[in-house]
Amino acid sequence: MASQGTEKALALLRRLPRVSLGNLKPNPGAVKSARRGRGIYGGKTHGAGSKGSGQRQNFMRLGFETGNTPFYLRFPYQNYYKGHHMRLSYAPLCMGKLQRMIDTSRLRTDVPVDITQLSATQLFSINPMEKMGGIMLKDEGIDHFQATLNLEVQWATEAVITSVERNGGTITVAYYDPISLQAALNPMAFFKRGVAIPRRMLPPQNLIDYYSDPKNRGYLADPTEVARERFVLAQKYGYELPDIRSSPNQEMLLERKDPRQIFYGLQPGWVVNLEDKVILKPTDPELLEHYAS
Amino acid sequence: MLLSRPNILRSLGRTVAPCRSLHNTAWLWCFRSAVSLDKIYPESDLDLTKPQQIPKTKGHNFSGYVPMDKVQVTYSRSSGPGGQNVNKINTKVDLRFHLASAEWLSPELKEKLATKHKTSITSDGFLVIRSDKTRSQQLNLAEAMDKLRHLIYTAAFVPPPPAVEDIERARRRLPSL
Repeated sequence: MASQGTEKALALLRRLPRVSLGNLKPNPGAVKSARRGRGIYGGKTHGAGSKGSGQRQNFMRLGFETGNTPFYLRFPYQNYYKGHHMRLSYAPLCMGKLQRMIDTSRLRTDVPVDITQLSATQLFSINPMEKMGGIMLKDEGIDHFQATLNLEVQWATEAVITSVERNGGTITVAYYDPISLQAALNPMAFFKRGVAIPRRMLPPQNLIDYYSDPKNRGYLADPTEVARERFVLAQKYGYELPDIRSSPNQEMLLERKDPRQIFYGLQPGWVVNLEDKVILKPTDPELLEHYAS
Repeated sequence: MLLSRPNILRSLGRTVAPCRSLHNTAWLWCFRSAVSLDKIYPESDLDLTKPQQIPKTKGHNFSGYVPMDKVQVTYSRSSGPGGQNVNKINTKVDLRFHLASAEWLSPELKEKLATKHKTSITSDGFLVIRSDKTRSQQLNLAEAMDKLRHLIYTAAFVPPPPAVEDIERARRRLPSL
């Protein structure tokens, strides 16, 4: 049974009239009157305090600290901080560690490996609120990498792309904005909130070129051009490019998310109800248009 | 978590239109937003597995294409400092092929290579390139490929004939006999 307080609240809801603008009022102290004080209690100083710049209506400028160097002037501009608020950092993952995760069955290779799968290994601490963009793959251990994967990370260099493609896999770099990243890192916690899956935002100006370049295997690049780059890279690094068409898990390797999608198989706008195991989808045409835009 | 394919079909079935097949197998019902790839690149066939045209080598024009099944690559241990890693890991790359029987090079190129780079050719007629520049086998192979292409391009290079002005200047500079 629910607690006494909950029971009381539910009883109130049952017997009281419907909530409307006519029977609402703010909490005491929430709204402050714009009028100056009058009468016995609002009189004498009329809410302006005593003496000083406050009573004399000659206020000190914002940030002034009565003479000492104020906080906002204490620190000089430094070039290395320019644009620091826009710079993203990524959790490093070297190829050797990725291979070890696969060998110890910490990571499945029969499904596309994206940030959600990698985060489920619980080996990374990625905090989107601390301007972290996701996971980047590093060059170390490229010679030991042998798995065939459909990989989706946030940053990858040429040597890393080579080591994935020479083993018959595919790699894509994709951007996740902070809200989408938070959802992707912990889908269960996101679904429990009961909010609609948001649309994934496109990369900002400083990153859009990176994610549109077929050389980087960007998710916004033309797949035909990516096919050409795969061929060119195979020639550069001296290996025969494995034919994905004749591979048994061709479908899995070529599975891609839409640029607005966060989860495989789930669309923006849907609400996932874990309790009742249902998915609630919007039917209003305006909402459908918005979530597909 | 990924739903198996029948579940995807059931849950996505009626809500969205089918997408243009992104690959040659049976097409999947999938979500398409206003910024999906088929909207950004309407004229492209969006095929990641599209087979590429292999460029041909004709005469002195080397295309740059090296068929990897026609060259032999062997790995061995590198020299130099590095402790246990350099002692145990095969990072040195040896790339070789029999020059006379290489069909991917034109006869003119083979002749030029035989004369210009005869120091890289063994007594059996194999052109050999070695690389142990980096700590990685993969990067060393890339370096060996680059060296091979450099050998071929420098051998193929035909300097342009001297200009009329240069011939005249040389004629004036040299004392007439």
